[in-house]
Amino acid sequence: MSKQVTLTIDGKQITAPEGALIVDAAKMAGIDIPVFCHHPKLEPVGMCRMCLVEIGRPMRDRATGQIVMENGAPKIQFMPKLETSCTNRVEEGLVVLTQSEKANAGQKSTVEFLLTSHPLDCPVCDKGGECPLQNLTMAHGSSQSRFIYDEKLHLEKQVPLSELIYLDRERCIQCARCIRFQDEVAGDSVIGFDERGRSTQIVSFSEPGFDSVFSGNTTDICPVGALTTADFRFGARPWELDAQASVCSQCPVGCNTTLNTRREAKAGGNIVIKRVMPRQNEEVNEIWLCDKGRFAYHYTESKKRLTKPLTRTGKDRKVNRVSWEAATKLAGENFLKAKKNFVVLASGRLANEDLFNLKTLADQFGGKAVLYSHIGGGELTAQVGVSAGTNLGVLGSGSTIVVVASNLYEEAPIWYLRVKQAAERGATLIVMNPRETKLDKYASFVERYDYGQEIKSVQELTKKGKLGDAFMKAQNAIIIYGSEGLGVAGSASLATACAKALNETEHVGKANNGLIGVWERANDQGAWEMGFKPEDDLAAALKGKVVYIAGADPVGDDPKLAKALESADFVVVQDILENATTEIADVVLPAQTHVEREGTFTSGERRVQRFYPAVAVVGDARADYAITAQIAKHMNFIMQSANANIVFEILAETLKPFEGLTYEKLSNVRVQLPMIGRGDMYYGGTTYENTHGLGVHLSAGATRGETVRIPRAQKEALPKVKDTDLLAVPVSKLYHRGATIESAQLLNQRIGKTTVSMNFDTAEQWGVVEGAQVKVSFDGVSGEAKVKIDETVSAGVMLVPRGMGLAIREPAVAKVKL
Amino acid sequence: MSLVEKYPKEVKQILSKYPPEHKRSAVMPLLFLAQREEGYITKAGMQDIGKILDITETEVASVVGFYTLYHDAKAGKYRVQICNDLPCALRGADKFLEELCGNVGIKVGETTADGLVTFETVTCLAACDKAPMFQTQGPDGINYHENMTINKAMEVIAGLKYAGKEVK
Ligand code: SF4
Ligand code: SF4
Ligand code: FES
Ligand code: FES
Repeated sequence: MSKQVTLTIDGKQITAPEGALIVDAAKMAGIDIPVFCHHPKLEPVGMCRMCLVEIGRPMRDRATGQIVMENGAPKIQFMPKLETSCTNRVEEGLVVLTQSEKANAGQKSTVEFLLTSHPLDCPVCDKGGECPLQNLTMAHGSSQSRFIYDEKLHLEKQVPLSELIYLDRERCIQCARCIRFQDEVAGDSVIGFDERGRSTQIVSFSEPGFDSVFSGNTTDICPVGALTTADFRFGARPWELDAQASVCSQCPVGCNTTLNTRREAKAGGNIVIKRVMPRQNEEVNEIWLCDKGRFAYHYTESKKRLTKPLTRTGKDRKVNRVSWEAATKLAGENFLKAKKNFVVLASGRLANEDLFNLKTLADQFGGKAVLYSHIGGGELTAQVGVSAGTNLGVLGSGSTIVVVASNLYEEAPIWYLRVKQAAERGATLIVMNPRETKLDKYASFVERYDYGQEIKSVQELTKKGKLGDAFMKAQNAIIIYGSEGLGVAGSASLATACAKALNETEHVGKANNGLIGVWERANDQGAWEMGFKPEDDLAAALKGKVVYIAGADPVGDDPKLAKALESADFVVVQDILENATTEIADVVLPAQTHVEREGTFTSGERRVQRFYPAVAVVGDARADYAITAQIAKHMNFIMQSANANIVFEILAETLKPFEGLTYEKLSNVRVQLPMIGRGDMYYGGTTYENTHGLGVHLSAGATRGETVRIPRAQKEALPKVKDTDLLAVPVSKLYHRGATIESAQLLNQRIGKTTVSMNFDTAEQWGVVEGAQVKVSFDGVSGEAKVKIDETVSAGVMLVPRGMGLAIREPAVAKVKL
Repeated sequence: MSLVEKYPKEVKQILSKYPPEHKRSAVMPLLFLAQREEGYITKAGMQDIGKILDITETEVASVVGFYTLYHDAKAGKYRVQICNDLPCALRGADKFLEELCGNVGIKVGETTADGLVTFETVTCLAACDKAPMFQTQGPDGINYHENMTINKAMEVIAGLKYAGKEVK
């Protein structure tokens, strides 16, 4: 623990860590100093003067340097003027007065000054009700302004900085929190101040506007109603909203969220989600969310939600609305008939409880449990993955983080942010990728390899001189691997190479060490822990089978899979939204989204976290685990399904990594610093305090002392490419056409058109130019796309984004035609 | 043509004055360079500078916005910047400005028909004791003109017009 110093604030003697800012130390002691520009996650700037206090320091004799004593105590010398408590640090013996007449007068004047050019239109302002300026005006503001009303500034009130974020120029108090967040935390300096003095205003010149996937966070920390999201503005008043703890379902980071809901006449008196807010978890997402997590929730209320069980029967495939009993019976009967031909295909969209029941069913009836994912290697993250005590937020000097084959900014934004910050704190960051990514800027070492060389590159990691040393000798080492340019087999091999490197250098089985997979979905890690595995050749695995699909749309995603399912014997689909697969299924079962029910997700960092029901169930949808149990009943197999809690109990008894976990443990909380999310004058933003659980890590094979079994890394089978060939490689994109993103209309512009990227020479070789609409074909797949010239792509390579209509499973030789 | 293509030597020379890890500091001289020809900095110019220095266009634009001697809109070849801040006003700057506008036939913010002279008002230029005063900003840099009378000022402006035509 750092050295503590003792000081007195408002007559209260407190201790605080040396170097702490007075305002933060006061906060920890329960003394609330008002702030605007200060934010505990940002560097102090002292530019708003809201936090003025009187500071007295022990007087020193000029000649001797000794502290002058008076009546047995050090004589305190107060500065003649007020000082900012957000820039002055605690010192031994300091005396601070935050409530003295002088301090109060200073704070009052600051509010008065601010109000000379602030509209105080709280009744029509989205921040009203959770606004520190409003609160301070109530506390300090005089009811009569000395300022001539007509001289108030009148400025534009609805300026779109982007289609997602709106600025009200009149309300902005120029605290620069938003700019500093973008500079310091997000690393996307895309908003700034224009002009100076009274004309200062926020501008963004990026293309598209406010070009950052973290933009929504600025609306949380903006201390006034100047920044609002297009999604929530004019949507509701904060005091009408209920708050329910949840977990983001969009990626493996598992950001903690709070769903703000209210009942609405528009929704027939039902409870609806009005906004998704971050919930503080310093070990996961701190107080941030990415824009996908914040805005994509609309899929839960999509018109395409499945509401009733359906069957398709007879030669003419007549669609029948049937009861749950009838639908699950039909499914169960066919599963029983299937014998060895039974396949359960599920995705990480489902909760641990759901996947557990599905896996149990598959095991009981000799079926195969297949994970719907393009990434392999999860049996290794279960063995040498990170576990208890791991926190990217504390890694710094002495730790090494390797990011390989992943563009974290697009694939797991909050991990990007956390890795970047770890590097800034002194951790050694090694970025290995065939092309430039945003993380390169923060890396100590950047390793470029050719697509197809990823495994070799990792195998040689320890032999790479300084870089190798940085990895081998690191006190802690974490490898984060992804699937840039890789299919299932390739990423599985890459995971093997990574696990081996970690294991050989003894970076497994302890906190802050191990392997992390950048999965496609929120609970892929959970699925792996249950024993689900993806198939190298999924189409072959589905052909002629009886398939139980949960949370996946193979027909819509990939024509090859569609073909395979055409010849499947019987198809049961359980999902939340109508899609191409529900169109062909024999039985369709409507499932609940995670916001309608209880459950848990396991994040990529192997942290199990609870989510809670926040809105009413849509139609007759049921929870996935319960649907599976109901089917099982018709197969004369009894499975628990009374509630998620019970399923979790059995799961925890059955699966070693989950041993000892209970819902109660998952919902434990601890005091988290900085203190944020309370209605204080010390304003941390609208992030919610975490009262519903920080989650618990799973144990890993290596921490339990089990022998680590790592298969030999296979060489990635890259197709043979000639010099004249064009190699299409899959890359991931944050905003793609996935069903859980596309329903949010607001994100359509960011999803954009399907584009393939190549460098100028390659484009020239293929006779195409920037912006050209081309026909792309590879591996039996063909489709239209726009060409984007990107000089970071290596020669002869074309990047094909996943989830944008071109079904790319793995690298393939491709053709483009105008 | 990009800034580097147009002024390769100058850009290189400017960059050489800053350690590579602090190259963003070169934003100031690069902006002056970009402004040299047209008297203002185009959007493309800001983008160029962003690229050279590895910073965003928004960051460049913020600097342009902050400093009054950088301009992001086209004006006359010479900007006549008359100080009418309080100390100058006490020495008759306001009246001087009004008469000057009348004589030249343009208002503050306007440009003469020949596109050579634009009037702007500015705050203290640190020559309060020699007011009325103005500075001119043009292709030949910045020049102070102090202890002005209308006649003297008209002479200066005539000179600018002459110089402007010559330069053209
Ligand atoms: S928009 Fe909000 S956060 Fe940004 S400077 Fe203005 S008041 Fe501060
Ligand atoms: S980083 Fe991932 S988990 Fe976090 S908000 Fe974004 S999509 Fe959700
Ligand atoms: S100056 Fe301290 S909070 Fe702004
Ligand atoms: S006030 Fe005009 S120069 Fe100082």
